[in-house]
Amino acid sequence: MHEPIIKGNMISIPSSLEYLTNIDDFIEGILRGFEVEDSLIADIAISVSELVNNSVNHGNHSDSDKTVSVSISKKGTDIEIMIEDQGQGFNPQEISNPLDEENLLKDTGRGIFIVNALMDKVDVKTTSSGTKTTITKSIA
Amino acid sequence: MKLTDREENGVMILEPAGKIMGGPDASLLHDKLYEFIDQDKKKFVVDLSQVDWMNSTGLGILISAYTTLRNNDGKLKLANVTEKIKSLLVITKLDPVFESYDSIAEAIESFNE
Repeated sequence: MHEPIIKGNMISIPSSLEYLTNIDDFIEGILRGFEVEDSLIADIAISVSELVNNSVNHGNHSDSDKTVSVSISKKGTDIEIMIEDQGQGFNPQEISNPLDEENLLKDTGRGIFIVNALMDKVDVKTTSSGTKTTITKSIA
Repeated sequence: MKLTDREENGVMILEPAGKIMGGPDASLLHDKLYEFIDQDKKKFVVDLSQVDWMNSTGLGILISAYTTLRNNDGKLKLANVTEKIKSLLVITKLDPVFESYDSIAEAIESFNE
């Protein structure tokens, strides 16, 4: 696969950060259709960008034969987004705290921390075929 | 993301516009900052008024340039930080790290203090 593929409320991209804008445009378009307010769209878009960055770089190790998929749905007043890659996954407990003094001025390591801060719920499941992260945000 | 730059009173002013989310766009900002740092420029203002939002990649670029400059007697300051970015700086406890000003003019003037 060498180009993004969109099917309904799902987009798949090859493992390259050059397609981040495709995912962002897709997510923003769907959220505007759900009439989500701008500030929440930004919070969700930031979180999705963090997780797609992680999936491309750390999950799929930028292997262009592997894909990252993002699907979005509205369940009542909750927006639920699933980000799936084909990598080995990560243990959220093993990620060091970016607020610790020794980490504060590091230029990486804040992504998951920011997602946890902005979203209401973050669920990470790793299987033999990849990692699926589900984030939920109430728009009520 | 688009990026413009200019020099005013010996201060490099970088004005990114759009979203700083990673990938080739974010590299633009990183590469431009380090191009000027390599030219021995010491005083920087990054104007964030036209940045819709940034993620940890954007924060990482700013922190990296900030620490590189600090270690070489230089300084990077922020101007026109939007509410969205301010909240991200607060969440990550980076808000006390960066000097930020309400306008580019104030940020430039602060280098004379």
